Amino acid sequence: MEKIIEIVLSGLSMGSIYSLLALGFVLIFKSTGVLNFAQGEFAMVGAFICYTFASLMKLPYLVAFPIAIVLGAVLGVVIYALFLRRMIGESIFSTIMLTVGLASILTSTAGLIWGHDVYLLASPFTNKVVSIRGIILSQGALYTILVSLILFIVFLRFFNHSLLGISMKGTAEDTDTAGLMGINVRMIHMIAWAIGGIVAALAGMFLAEQSFVRLEMSHVGIKAMAAAILGGMDSIAGAVLGGVIVGIVESFASSYLSGLEFANFHTGDIKEVAAFAVMILVLMIRPQGIFGKEKVERV
Amino acid sequence: MGRKFKTSYQQDSALFQNLWVKSWLAIAIVVLCVLPFVLKPYELSIMNGIGIAVIGALGLNLLTGYTGQISLCHGALVGIGAYSTALLSANLGLHFLVSLPLSGLMAAALGLIVGVPSLRLKGLYLALGTLAFGFIFEYVILHWNLTQGEMGLAVPRIQFASFVVETERHFYFLILITAALATLAAKNIARSKIGRCFVAICDRDIAAEAMGISLTKYKIMAFGISAFYAGLAGCLLAHYQQWIVPGNFDLMLSISYIAMIIMGGLGTVLGSILGAGLITLIPHGIVYLTDAFKDVWPGLSGLIVSFKLGVFGLVIVGTLLFEPRGLFGIYQRIKVYWKTWPFKY
Repeated sequence: MEKIIEIVLSGLSMGSIYSLLALGFVLIFKSTGVLNFAQGEFAMVGAFICYTFASLMKLPYLVAFPIAIVLGAVLGVVIYALFLRRMIGESIFSTIMLTVGLASILTSTAGLIWGHDVYLLASPFTNKVVSIRGIILSQGALYTILVSLILFIVFLRFFNHSLLGISMKGTAEDTDTAGLMGINVRMIHMIAWAIGGIVAALAGMFLAEQSFVRLEMSHVGIKAMAAAILGGMDSIAGAVLGGVIVGIVESFASSYLSGLEFANFHTGDIKEVAAFAVMILVLMIRPQGIFGKEKVERV
Repeated sequence: MGRKFKTSYQQDSALFQNLWVKSWLAIAIVVLCVLPFVLKPYELSIMNGIGIAVIGALGLNLLTGYTGQISLCHGALVGIGAYSTALLSANLGLHFLVSLPLSGLMAAALGLIVGVPSLRLKGLYLALGTLAFGFIFEYVILHWNLTQGEMGLAVPRIQFASFVVETERHFYFLILITAALATLAAKNIARSKIGRCFVAICDRDIAAEAMGISLTKYKIMAFGISAFYAGLAGCLLAHYQQWIVPGNFDLMLSISYIAMIIMGGLGTVLGSILGAGLITLIPHGIVYLTDAFKDVWPGLSGLIVSFKLGVFGLVIVGTLLFEPRGLFGIYQRIKVYWKTWPFKY
């Protein structure tokens, strides 16, 4: 029993990272119609920024953390203003490929600045564990889960109750009508990218909490896409739930299916592909995801 | 320059439209045949790389450019071709002439598996599905004893009776012939009924279906043909490199194929060739540049890996923003400019 709870909790901590990233995907996709393939790279850059301020410049972690968040938002806005603003109305293929290109550029730039090594981001929670009635959990994981939970509540309230949140939802529904109703659509798009950058930076720093800071961190973005697809690309609650499910599935797969040996196939670290298997299953069975609405298309 | 107007459908879809095209083609063939006797082995190896890339890019362009189906697993399909030929020729001792089409068919069979879900998926969902397929392929070859994981596989040399294909020049002619046949086939697919159906699906699939085009048949056909091309490219690559590892066929390869067709021009055969040439040249150009600046900035050569990825990204982003029709678009603009010179239109 304890083992299962531990697996679920570690799945939750990874899952909240996926949820944060998936939230970024959904937000940007809903309001601007762009699927941002560079979301994982945003997370990686966020973690590196935090590492730069906390470990290289010796600032306290609690100062580096907000700096990284702000710079994450700035990155999102800059990417939007430089590239995506010109792509409004282009085909989905062009926008997807543009963000794939951006992802390569970000990885390459980060490689040039910070190099290909593996770094440790020292935070107040590093190497500390909590033990509640025999269940052992790292403090970093607990802190990730709690902060993400608070953030999700804040985001849900923001989208359902604040004027800005409601106008974002309106823009997502119908850009032209929203513009006619007096909503500054460009502003809304920019805010969506800023929030996308913020949640990605957060996810990156939480991920650094659980492993290391390195370029390959950005792969987490592709796994978070599985979460976004599972929940439905146009549902914020779906993104959160999808992330949690993917995290838990991954955690169970790595405890029960890793290192098995069949005839001449050994499963090794199956955690790496569990998310993709989920993604393919969802795409085969219910492409619009759990909460997504099926689109009816006219010629 | 022959007749000014095309008066029949046959003329419009002719392979060689006029004397101008024919004479340029003849010049190109002569140059391509003379090149291996002029170039040094290193330069010839670049040409071989381009030839293999042309075959793969043609396949991806038939799928993505003509039919409009995004595929982020083309690199994985190239890998399937490469691993097929490695296993077939090393374990079963099959001849290259048998394993070449077989590895194409193997890739096509797996490409069809990717193609079936594409009947339901569109746009970004298809992109994600193919992305997931690429990762799963990489996982399988890393963990299957048959493919020897990270260690990779050795690929035997190609032999025709007592003649062994081993020098760059031998490979050059082998790759040139295959690439030329592949180009001819792609051109013919594109100008026949199949190609027109592909373009119709790309423009508006629902409308195409309403016009009586079977989406199931043509989408699956597009995936199959594209994967077959990828398999051929992979087979040649495997024999050329003589050693293949999973890292050769990761997402990076898929992205560079996409960069080729975007850079060259989506939905054009000439574009695939131009794009494949340019994208293959870029890494060599970067190596050349870092070599030139070796004395000024010694640390530069360590950064090549980062540069390569970044330049690919810049190429994709820059083309999409400034010249969405790619090199083919530039070529056409220049052609029109000179045709009507000194008048603007």
